[in-house]
Amino acid sequence: MTDKREPLSHDPLQIQKALKTRLTRRELMKYAGAGAGAVSLGAFLAACGDDDSGSGGGGGGGGGGDNPFAGGPNGKVNFANWPLYIDKAFIKAIDGRGSPTLYAYQKETGTEVNYQEVIQDNASFFGRIQPQLSAGQPTGWDIIVITNGRELTALIANEWLEELDTSMRPNFDANAAAFAVDPPFDPGNKYTMCWQSGVTGIVTNKDLTGGEILTSWEDLRNPKYKSQIGMLKAEALDAAMVAQGVDPETSTPDDWRNAATWLQEQQDTGVVRNYYEQGYIDEVIAGNLAGCQAWSGDVLYYKLWEDYSNLEFVVPDEGGLLWIDNMIIPKGAENPVDAMNIMDYYYQPRVATDVAEWVMYMSPVNGVQKLMAQDAKDAYAKGWDAYAKKLEDSANEPMLFPDQAMLDGLFNFRNLTTDDEREEWDMIFEPIIQ
Amino acid sequence: MATVVGGGAPKKASIAGRRRKVAYGLLAPGGLYLLAILLLPLAIMIFTSLKTGGLLSGGFTFEFPGDWSNYVDGLVEYKSHFLRSITYAGIATFLAIVFAYPMMYWIAFHGGKWKGSLLLLILLPFFVSYVVRTVQWKWILADNGLFLGTLKDFGVLPEDFKVLATPLAVVAGLTYDFIPFAALPLFVSLDRISGSLIEAAEDLFATPFTAFRKVVFPLSLPGVFAALILSFVPMAGDYVNPEILGGPNTQMIGNIIQYKFLVSADYPLGSALSVILMIGMVILASIYAKILGAEEASNMAAA
Repeated sequence: MTDKREPLSHDPLQIQKALKTRLTRRELMKYAGAGAGAVSLGAFLAACGDDDSGSGGGGGGGGGGDNPFAGGPNGKVNFANWPLYIDKAFIKAIDGRGSPTLYAYQKETGTEVNYQEVIQDNASFFGRIQPQLSAGQPTGWDIIVITNGRELTALIANEWLEELDTSMRPNFDANAAAFAVDPPFDPGNKYTMCWQSGVTGIVTNKDLTGGEILTSWEDLRNPKYKSQIGMLKAEALDAAMVAQGVDPETSTPDDWRNAATWLQEQQDTGVVRNYYEQGYIDEVIAGNLAGCQAWSGDVLYYKLWEDYSNLEFVVPDEGGLLWIDNMIIPKGAENPVDAMNIMDYYYQPRVATDVAEWVMYMSPVNGVQKLMAQDAKDAYAKGWDAYAKKLEDSANEPMLFPDQAMLDGLFNFRNLTTDDEREEWDMIFEPIIQ
Repeated sequence: MATVVGGGAPKKASIAGRRRKVAYGLLAPGGLYLLAILLLPLAIMIFTSLKTGGLLSGGFTFEFPGDWSNYVDGLVEYKSHFLRSITYAGIATFLAIVFAYPMMYWIAFHGGKWKGSLLLLILLPFFVSYVVRTVQWKWILADNGLFLGTLKDFGVLPEDFKVLATPLAVVAGLTYDFIPFAALPLFVSLDRISGSLIEAAEDLFATPFTAFRKVVFPLSLPGVFAALILSFVPMAGDYVNPEILGGPNTQMIGNIIQYKFLVSADYPLGSALSVILMIGMVILASIYAKILGAEEASNMAAA
């Protein structure tokens, strides 16, 4: 495979640091609608407002036809993703910053990619596209990246997604990592292809634990850490089930109640500082949390690229949780063929490596680790030692490239497939975290 | 004479008509803006609050006469959060007024030519987003941070002392964030009071305290009420402070609404909670308007 990337002319580390604004930005944007007063109007306007993507006419596919992939490519695609979730660099040819992998794709195929970092969290973005989808109208997006969970389940259940054309993804078939193939929420990858993935485990701030590393979910109930433990709002109940030796995926309402008791006991010991949606990593770094339920990529970024050597991320003894951010094509997308092509493009190992070197999450593509190690060697050869060292550390990081043993220790989340289940789940769980 | 008046009458009417047109024209931009940005979403919110159903069974639908149980459920289930919001916002409003009043008193009566600059200092923090400022407190008050960490090192505070993740942090954050909302109306009402009134009171053998109690404070009451309403309303709906500074048992109703919308995607219940909160605030505001109206009237009578 030929390398179509622009040759690097200088040490990328500084640029990378400059471009990579800290993750807290997400948190700030989340509250941006808070303003002074009207409580939920912001969310409402977001839910009712129209989308801001430029979507023109376009022939192939969309609405009426049986097979949206029957037509040819339209030469453009509207891609909605999360902030800081793709490779970025200064690109000379366009005299601005952008994604080198996307730029290479545009140059190669002539496809115009409208890439927007518009997704702050699953639920509010879902709220934005849900009115159009339920009215049978196009959302304006051709690719959306969404985590497995309630929103994705609803999208699939309501038939709001285009069924992918499995004949159009040779790279996926050849290179997809085992965990990305046939996920429990989407058998046969009928609707989804993994963008990136990660593990929910435990982060320890060793400064606060006296060097000890919290290695089990049960450690998060140690009364020693008074008000120094954090849990994730959306995932605490699944973690509590894992702690009790229950596989969340096949759990029953009784298991949920037991898990709720586990969490209530944890709270009663006074160790829980708060339940977080985002922003927990700041609390860890600030020295307020000794341990917290955490996403691998958040911790790895600070540990490997920002030199926070006091942080440690582990998959707990009882097991961790695997989550997958998926690329999907919403119903009525205007450029489904282009979308499918670009989704498959990201399953080329070289392309996937470029993304992985930037985002620090688990790549769903085989062969990335080898290429990253090679990139590290090349960087050493060019004398970019600092950058090379970080690449080398990343290439050796088991959380980025989990072996089979580690993957076997990971559980899937409970997939709530009916409204009754969701209601019961909320009734059991919400009183604890609120 | 008569002819002149007769000739003038239709002209007058047309002027009045044109004036009315101009008045409507001037109202139009703001009125349309209000309609599009406030009333329309409000109507959609009320409509949504009456829907039933679930996301997985075809979405939320409206069936006449609407599902009013969202309101009952919301009030019953989240009673404690409503109460907590009112309590926290009440305490924080009281604190904000208590802190702001002496400050504004001093600026109004002794600020002299520096009045403007001093007021600007009060407003200065407002040039930075209040979310950013609230997040900064998280760093300043970190358990082992700059402030608490140092005090702990000197042995002034016990090792496990903390401010964050307590009700104290939330109330303090609310007070800090909304103090300008209390300060400005207080300043306006205090600034209006003529210094000669105090002199007159002292001429009549009032002690400074009596002069304040019987003259200045009653005259500043409209400002106190304005400060009360302007700070209490946003505080009661706030979800940023409890989220950033609070802990598991300091969640306010704003957090629940945010959670209903952004996590559990239960839009009808979230909308119902918003409407309840809004109605509560409207009732409060109308009480305020009533009292203030009476107050203004008595001011007039006194004058």
